[in-house]
Amino acid sequence: MRILVAVKRVPMTGGRIVLTEDEQAIETRHLGFTISPHEECGVEEAVRLIEANGGESVVLTLGPGEAEEQLRDAMAIGIDRAVHLVTDGEEWDPQATAGAILEVIREDEAANGRFDLLLFGNESADTGGYQVGIRIAHALGRPIATGLKAVTVDDGTVRCEQEVAGGRDVYVLPLPAVVTVKEGLNLPRYPSVPGRLRAQRKPLESRSPVRPEPRLERLRLVVPEGEGKQAEILGEGAAAAPRVVEVLQQIGVV
Amino acid sequence: MSVLVYVEHAAGVVDEPSLQALTLARGLAGGDALQAVCVRVGATQSPADALAGHGVETLHAAAGEAFAAHAPCAIAEAIVELSRRLSASAVVGPGTERGNEVLAHVAGLLDLPLAANCVAAASSDGGTNVTRVRWGGSLLEVARVHAPTALLTVQPHAVPIETTSSGAPAVETFTPTLSDAALALRVAERLGAATGGISLADAKVVVSGGRGAGSAEGFAIVEELAGLLGAAVGCSRAVTMAGWRPHTDQVGQTGTKIAPDLYIACGISGATQHMAGCKGAKRILAVNSDREAPILASADYAVIGDMHEIVPALSVAIRAARSS
Amino acid sequence: MSAAASALALVLVAAVAGTLFVRRASFLYRLVRLGQPADRSGDVGRRARTEATVVLAQRKLLQRFVPGLVHALIFWGFVVLFPTIVMALLGAVDRDWTLPWLGHQGWFFLLVDVFCVLVLVGVASALAIRKVQRPARFEGSHLGEADLILGLIALIVATLLCWHASRIALGINEWPEDWSPVSKAISTPMDTGDWLEARERIFVWLHVLTILGFLVYLPYSKHLHIATAGLNVWFGRTRARGRLEPLDFEVEDEAALRLGAGTLADMTWKQMLDTMSCTECGRCQDVCPAWATGKALSPKLLIMGLRDRLFEEGPGVLAGGGATALVPGAVTDEVVWDCVTCGACVHECPVSIEHVDHIVDLRRHLVMAESRFPDEAGAMLRDVGRSSNPWGKAQADRAAWAEGLDVRVLEPGDTAPELLYWVGCAASYDERARATARATATLLVKAGLDVAILGPRESCTGDPARRMGDEYTFQAQAQQNVATLGEAGVTRIVTSCPHCFNTLGNEYADFDGRYEVVHHSELLAELLRDGRLEAPRGEDGITYHDSCYLARHNDVLAAPREIVSRIGRPLEMARSGKRTFCCGAGGAHMWMEERGSAINEERVREAAETGAKTLAVACPFCTMMLDDGVKQIGAGLRVADVSVLLAEALEPGAAGGPAAG
Repeated sequence: MRILVAVKRVPMTGGRIVLTEDEQAIETRHLGFTISPHEECGVEEAVRLIEANGGESVVLTLGPGEAEEQLRDAMAIGIDRAVHLVTDGEEWDPQATAGAILEVIREDEAANGRFDLLLFGNESADTGGYQVGIRIAHALGRPIATGLKAVTVDDGTVRCEQEVAGGRDVYVLPLPAVVTVKEGLNLPRYPSVPGRLRAQRKPLESRSPVRPEPRLERLRLVVPEGEGKQAEILGEGAAAAPRVVEVLQQIGVV
Repeated sequence: MSVLVYVEHAAGVVDEPSLQALTLARGLAGGDALQAVCVRVGATQSPADALAGHGVETLHAAAGEAFAAHAPCAIAEAIVELSRRLSASAVVGPGTERGNEVLAHVAGLLDLPLAANCVAAASSDGGTNVTRVRWGGSLLEVARVHAPTALLTVQPHAVPIETTSSGAPAVETFTPTLSDAALALRVAERLGAATGGISLADAKVVVSGGRGAGSAEGFAIVEELAGLLGAAVGCSRAVTMAGWRPHTDQVGQTGTKIAPDLYIACGISGATQHMAGCKGAKRILAVNSDREAPILASADYAVIGDMHEIVPALSVAIRAARSS
Repeated sequence: MSAAASALALVLVAAVAGTLFVRRASFLYRLVRLGQPADRSGDVGRRARTEATVVLAQRKLLQRFVPGLVHALIFWGFVVLFPTIVMALLGAVDRDWTLPWLGHQGWFFLLVDVFCVLVLVGVASALAIRKVQRPARFEGSHLGEADLILGLIALIVATLLCWHASRIALGINEWPEDWSPVSKAISTPMDTGDWLEARERIFVWLHVLTILGFLVYLPYSKHLHIATAGLNVWFGRTRARGRLEPLDFEVEDEAALRLGAGTLADMTWKQMLDTMSCTECGRCQDVCPAWATGKALSPKLLIMGLRDRLFEEGPGVLAGGGATALVPGAVTDEVVWDCVTCGACVHECPVSIEHVDHIVDLRRHLVMAESRFPDEAGAMLRDVGRSSNPWGKAQADRAAWAEGLDVRVLEPGDTAPELLYWVGCAASYDERARATARATATLLVKAGLDVAILGPRESCTGDPARRMGDEYTFQAQAQQNVATLGEAGVTRIVTSCPHCFNTLGNEYADFDGRYEVVHHSELLAELLRDGRLEAPRGEDGITYHDSCYLARHNDVLAAPREIVSRIGRPLEMARSGKRTFCCGAGGAHMWMEERGSAINEERVREAAETGAKTLAVACPFCTMMLDDGVKQIGAGLRVADVSVLLAEALEPGAAGGPAAG
């Protein structure tokens, strides 16, 4: 079978976010980067499926030149080859992202045959758009299931388990299909050194698509008030309980 | 022109994120009509009564056996059909997992931009300006949606629900035309939770006990509170080392990394290895007898005192709040 | 029997024994030659000194005085008695033959008599230790084999004495008999009866045959150490003890990539020699924190397991065959991961076996070739590589501890400071350990030093990844840090973390990073000595816990004690200095789950026994581990870094923050 997994390079913020002076991006000068966590599980799943069923796995990203690091990381744990849609570092909105990925899929399928499975993260850790995979499914006219915690391929179908309150909803889709997955789907393996060295030699195709005008246009970023402040003391001892309940009601837990 | 809101309900009970979406949408609608859409299976209760006080003019109930099982694409087709009919200027949904999924299907069908998890929205100059969350809430983005119909979802629990004097909306039932592909995309089976409990990694609320719990038995009060909140129970490494809880319950860098909306840490000092496991939590409430405990440096809220007094008092207060 | 017949008999017997010995010896030699390269050349002077102290003077053995002395008596006895072997061989051919000159020296025969007795005393004491005292360190050792060897030694010495006695009785002693009081005393009852001449022949032949038998048995037994220990000590590590040998990833072809030890074919020749040198004495096992707390690892059983595998599979490999996985074949996964790399075993070993290097090489293979390690440590490895610290904290927050303190954060292009304070991840991020960073920085600034920190540009040294076996991640960190330090023009570094101290000082030189590195305890002690910091004398009992990477791996013992004795009344724990007991965090155990009972609790109990109210440490990881231990067992101790205690003594209440305890 053939599988394409799309990934996104995101910074490791360690919980605290600092913005650049123009408020257009996160200050990443001292930050490391990773594949967005849901997609990291997508990569692992793709590798496992190909190990079990044979075939070819392809990893794709749309991102700056440095995102090659994430493509190599994916190939280090077993993805066969990579496609890099190189940007100048400017963010692409979800629609434009889906459009560029779609173009690659169509060309690749014309040359190498259909992808049985297109794997996406449910949403990216940074922009959290929740839509690229679904847009591609609609454009290709393929079935899609989202937010998956288990993916089983069997005899031309894919059984998808989506976590919902109180249990799991199961969708059974005919292949070819699109799935978006969530962290916890599997435990991604740690890359071996031979794997990392081999990844340096695996084929990586770079393209430079032109960024269309964004239809969801970022104007600026804002760090919410109250981030990084000291804890608000709600009270002492059992007497604090009513005040705690008020706070729990505010944040929608009670 | 009107603003259309997708409302999630279970047998007529509307969940809070949908009501929050209504509040945001009402502001966005300005003088235009606010319409709601929901699905309705057979003769089940419509949520019209629950929408009283939320300014909804008409509730459009999409009827059909297709909706007996959750079918996100079918719901999206119904919404698209309705929004075309109503010439909606915006379609708004709750920013829950399912709400985001349905709206993304709508965006895919219409090929329009979607701004997920907004906390504010206003129309201006033929477009819509929104503020939406990134990084699960650690960052806000001010953005502009360039589209004749703005598609938005509303970040849950970020917009306080405001009510008006409006009565229950009129209900119009319609039977949407659904494609075969959309009908095929539906839940085939429902599995119960694997272990009966809520998994630590996915829980929206986690209540943990640390060394302060004092013993394995000390977790009874933690479990009681977790049960009331529909939360998963976690613990610190000191607790698993002492053998009071299994390692699978450990929150920490060498245990499970969690990302709940609320993390309640009781009797946990906040060692680095523990904080590395809960840094994904949106809010942390620390219950600790030590004002100087490291966890207070990372917590949003704190209650100072003995967890053995505070935690049971909290359970009592929550029960009282629920029954009133 | 004529001299010719005796000579023929001796030649025959010696030929058989010699052949058996050479066959085995050549097998062992070829095995060692099969080993991977390890550069143990150079440093001849240092090697000679080590050989003199460790082998000749039995320094390591004498760390445990009684059993050490027992061994020393036997060892020195055999050194002295060595010429008598030649004399016996000559005498066996012809009773009138002996060594020229020496064979006639009375003083030599006095020495022989004295040492024969001492060896017998040694053997008797050794048997008493083994049979009566039965120390736990022998658990898992081959005890029967040891008994046989002790018996053979006793037989060799007894037959020598009897032979000498019979010669005195016969009056054919070439040396003045008055110099041989013991032999002469034995000769008296021999002086009568028939068969006197035959008895002399019997004793000398019994003596010679026992020696030859011993020679044959030797290379098949654990007593092989007689031949290998001297070599193993000679080829022991001469560079810093805390330094690990770097791996080379810049290889042309993947097959040449050596990622630690997967099979015996990956072991270095020194590692093979290590296994052949082990006498199963169990001194390593006795001091191992893992073994002491009920874990699977015993350094002795580890080396024995590797040796057994070497002897099982060695012949096949020499014949061109393959070898199977060492883990879990020779040792289990648990054994490999239980190690805290504290180095107590290496410090204790009388024959210079380098256990930690074995463990690290086994880990290197598991982690880098097989991605196999305890799941819970995966987050640390990823975080070191991606977030530049082992907890995935924000680099932007690295200098958050310094807020409100007058500490310069070096920006690119700034002039280099005289002294760079390398804070380390633990003291940068952990709320308890941050007290150390605040106290250290405050004191250095107070003393008027030109000190700066790198702030967000400081990145994990890579130590936890390296000790975990992930050399690849370590080297990436090392290269990045060496570049940062080079750009900043740093030449002198003070660190408050013994692990950073070891890595920066001992290991970065392999990546072209050469700095003068001091530990904060050394610098603070120096400032006290010079009067640049003045602390009032204190009377409270303080017990100081030596960090393994400070004391054992890097000989920093005196400086922290200087500080402690200045501000309080020092109380030593039973295990201290270079024989300290680990806190449990080393070898990346800060990021692994502990099996068995807890090492930190064991150490805290020991600290509490001193009666001290304060447990002083000089390592942020020891701070965290021991403070956890104190809370866990409810000991009435406050754990605090020496810098925190000093800062408090200078200015009560000023160290600030949530100091541990």
